Amino acid sequence: MRPKQLRLILTFPTTMAAMAMEQICLARGIPGRLIPVPTSITAGCGMAWSAPPDARAQVLDAAQEGGICVDGLYELVI
Amino acid sequence: MEQILVNALGEQCPIPVVKTLKALQALTGPACVEVHVDNETAVQNVTRLAANKQIPVRSEKLEENHFVLYLDAEKATEASQPEAPACQPDRRGDLVVAVTSDAMGHGSEELGRTLMKGFLYALSQQEELPATILFYNGGAKLTTQGSLSLEDLKSMEAQGVQILTCGACLNYYGLTERLAVGGVTNMYAIVETLTKAGRVVKP
Repeated sequence: MRPKQLRLILTFPTTMAAMAMEQICLARGIPGRLIPVPTSITAGCGMAWSAPPDARAQVLDAAQEGGICVDGLYELVI
Repeated sequence: MEQILVNALGEQCPIPVVKTLKALQALTGPACVEVHVDNETAVQNVTRLAANKQIPVRSEKLEENHFVLYLDAEKATEASQPEAPACQPDRRGDLVVAVTSDAMGHGSEELGRTLMKGFLYALSQQEELPATILFYNGGAKLTTQGSLSLEDLKSMEAQGVQILTCGACLNYYGLTERLAVGGVTNMYAIVETLTKAGRVVKP
């Protein structure tokens, strides 16, 4: 298991939105990665965007400009 | 940022952990501590030390019996306390994971590829790591350059997980020169690995 780090976690209302977020962030070189939604947020299924906390502004701008609806925003040690 | 080199090659646990701990305790500012070890158990134990101190770490297998860990001590928490070096036995079980496609499940290929990335990430987070992960057919794409799962796979490889990709499959997809993690295997070794496994998981 890798060490736990503080990460910015974005959740989305749909899996499609999470995948769209990945596409836009990869295209723009914004740091982060798609991960399964941490169980500390929900026991349900889904994908979330995990990014370094200092990339918050870039990530939120990308979501807004891409028209991607963000369901939740968390800072978690995962 | 200051670079600190810790050479623990040829050292058995707890020496790599002790040397790393001493290097961390001697820091006066942000630093990247680079730890060289020669066995997977040492990688696991130094990784655990970093985890306890909430220090980001990544590890890599440079060659046979040579592993390197990079600890980004810039973000070490002040709350972290020195603790006795902890050595635990190898965490690899008898599990073999067979990845037969770059997508998980049937239905949407795009969704399947997203799920597979999630699977490999979650696998790398498990307390018990698999002994071996086999990649064949479309799964071979995941161990080659450009794969978004390379970080997870390299991390698991450095902790001793054997990462093996089918050579015929790499050849078929024109990816032989692009293998980026683990080694190449053949059907005899794949059959032997699967038949001798305690448990096999196929995502």
